[in-house]
Amino acid sequence: MKTTTFIEAITEAMAEEMARDERVFLIGEDIGLYGGVFKATKGLIERFGAERVIDSPISEAYIVGGCVGAALVGMRPIPEIQFADFITPAMDQIIQQAAKIRYRSGGAWTCPMTIRVCCGGEVGGGLYHSQLNEQWFFSQPGLIVLFPSTPYDAKGLLKSAVRGDDPVIFFEHKRLYRSLKEDLPDEDFTVPIGKAAIRKIGKDITIVAYGLMCHKALEAINVLEKDGISVELIDMRTLLPWDRETIFESIKKTSKVILIQENSKTGGVMAEIAASISEEMFDYLDAPVTRVCGLDIPMLPFAPPMEHFFLPNAEKITRAAKKVMEY
Amino acid sequence: MDTDQSKNKVSLKEVGLSADVLMGLYTCLLKTRQLDEKLRRLFRQGRFAGTYFSAVGQEATTVGSAYGLRDDDIIGPSHREIGAMVAKGVPLSVIVAQVYARSSSPDKGKSHPCHYGYRPKGIINPSSTVAGQTVVATGCAMAFKIQKKDNIALAYFGEGATARGGWHEALNFAGIHKLPIVYICENNLWAESVPASLEAGIEHFADRSKAYGFQGITIDGNDLVVVHKAASEAIAKARSGGGPTLIECLTYRWYGHSEIDPANYRRSEELEEWKKKDPILGTEKLLTKLGLLATGKREALVEQVNQEIEEAVKTAEATKYAEPEEAYNDVYSDKFPVRRDELGMGGKQ
Ligand SMILES: Cc1ncc(C[n+]2csc(CCOP(=O)(O)OP(=O)(O)O)c2C)c(N)n1
Ligand SMILES: [Mg+2]
Repeated sequence: MKTTTFIEAITEAMAEEMARDERVFLIGEDIGLYGGVFKATKGLIERFGAERVIDSPISEAYIVGGCVGAALVGMRPIPEIQFADFITPAMDQIIQQAAKIRYRSGGAWTCPMTIRVCCGGEVGGGLYHSQLNEQWFFSQPGLIVLFPSTPYDAKGLLKSAVRGDDPVIFFEHKRLYRSLKEDLPDEDFTVPIGKAAIRKIGKDITIVAYGLMCHKALEAINVLEKDGISVELIDMRTLLPWDRETIFESIKKTSKVILIQENSKTGGVMAEIAASISEEMFDYLDAPVTRVCGLDIPMLPFAPPMEHFFLPNAEKITRAAKKVMEY
Repeated sequence: MDTDQSKNKVSLKEVGLSADVLMGLYTCLLKTRQLDEKLRRLFRQGRFAGTYFSAVGQEATTVGSAYGLRDDDIIGPSHREIGAMVAKGVPLSVIVAQVYARSSSPDKGKSHPCHYGYRPKGIINPSSTVAGQTVVATGCAMAFKIQKKDNIALAYFGEGATARGGWHEALNFAGIHKLPIVYICENNLWAESVPASLEAGIEHFADRSKAYGFQGITIDGNDLVVVHKAASEAIAKARSGGGPTLIECLTYRWYGHSEIDPANYRRSEELEEWKKKDPILGTEKLLTKLGLLATGKREALVEQVNQEIEEAVKTAEATKYAEPEEAYNDVYSDKFPVRRDELGMGGKQ
């Protein structure tokens, strides 16, 4: 066992996969000698050399598109997008190449690639260093979208992504990088893609969240428990393909559900979860499916009061839970 | 001695290619032309759906550059490279199945008639995004360098594609790392309806390579020998660690952007001028001078090629479309089967 931060878990996952499989390589901006702007690749160029830890020019389309090509001919690339805000220049390569090459080749060409994306608010990053943008990829069949909330899952899911045969977008919430620590096993482990985690067992309300929002939910749950409200917390972990079974089973038990999403509400991941719950779980529900989300304004205004104003927090979640409990 | 005849004579040594290579190139050229014209006619007869992108007029550029590549060399194509498919040895039956979107097509009918790709021959099934596969093919070359292999990649695109950001990102990266790739720019003077003068502020698209630190050359893309020699040289250079080359091939498409485009934006004189530079006629003239195309040989070859094409068309027309449920396959690896929801209602149906 070793106490490991979220970001250390990511560095270790990459180092271990690179040591295990010579097809794995990294490419991204400032990831070499500098070790990445958040130091996720610290020490890796020294260990694996500049051919496998490539400092890229500022070329997001090439970083992703080049990795698609490398994946086609037998490599397992881990490209890094420095900030989710700057994933837009790579959109064509993600959506038209990575997500569709298997489909448009009738399965002949495949793209095992893991795009690491640093994302998320509550770090004072302002309008262009706080975005998530996970919803764009959530609506693209052909992609796997992962969003871990613990060091254990970050390491285990990253390993599963690298070992799998599909293109993965791997979201890393920068607020979690150094604020979380966890004892991780010394031996090799993976976390299965497509399986949600039940973080807390409860009977009155199901809360579904991912990333930083799992931790906001836990804060709220502490308060709610004091009021005698028992909450089941589901951490989605994999956004696409999402784990219907775990969420639906929980709702069968609680009959009430709150969906929490850091990003803006309209067209977000939780809109789809909510729609599916109403299509398939109507008979089990005792209260309206309720969402607590970021505001429908550009994510994320800089000035601290506005940043705070935008984001879901324990207080907003607690209020939503109390309202749902009235049914 | 008849002086006229001696003036007309050319030796293989002067041409710099063997008779075998010349006849191999010519056969691919002819095959491409016959196939392309046939597919145009079939489209006009409504025998397959969608549209068709003819490359008639540009065959020397694509055949000359792809001929002689290894199976494990990669091609990142665009939409007008039927000649490269033929030259790299994709069976005609596969090309026609693709156009007909049949179950026997490499993509099982999922993509688009002219998006030729074929993994056994190292051809990446293309997306439609102009310059898309230029980026991807550059990544293949990056991998070959990491893997310390001597494979190379060849990327095809029109001159219009060189205005795209991703194109520049790819060539910039290839220049930094001296990647084993050859970029073939098919400059046919038009990007759909937009003339080259409105696509770039430079006359020669090959000049763009200067910004990325490697060689760019502009050549006669309708001269099969010139194209093949220039490409072979660039390929050998790439294979031996000498880095990328951008080859701009000056050529012309005879028909519209696709079969639904009457190409009214061009002057007919321009087309007539280029038809005089027909790569087929030019090649046949050379072969005749070399004594490689005896009377009747061309006709016999045409006959043979047409038969092969007829066969491929017959097979495609006799083959069914895949079942609609095939649409659910190849989204992910087998680990992640797609949820079936035919009525789009969710729940139990
Ligand atoms: C990014 C993008 N924009 C627009 C199109 C539509 N489109 C397809 S081909 C084409 C013109 C391409 O011109 P060029 O690159 O010169 O190739 P050519 O058709 O002349 O062979 C356009 C505009 C596209 N496929 N991709
Ligand atoms: Mg053009």
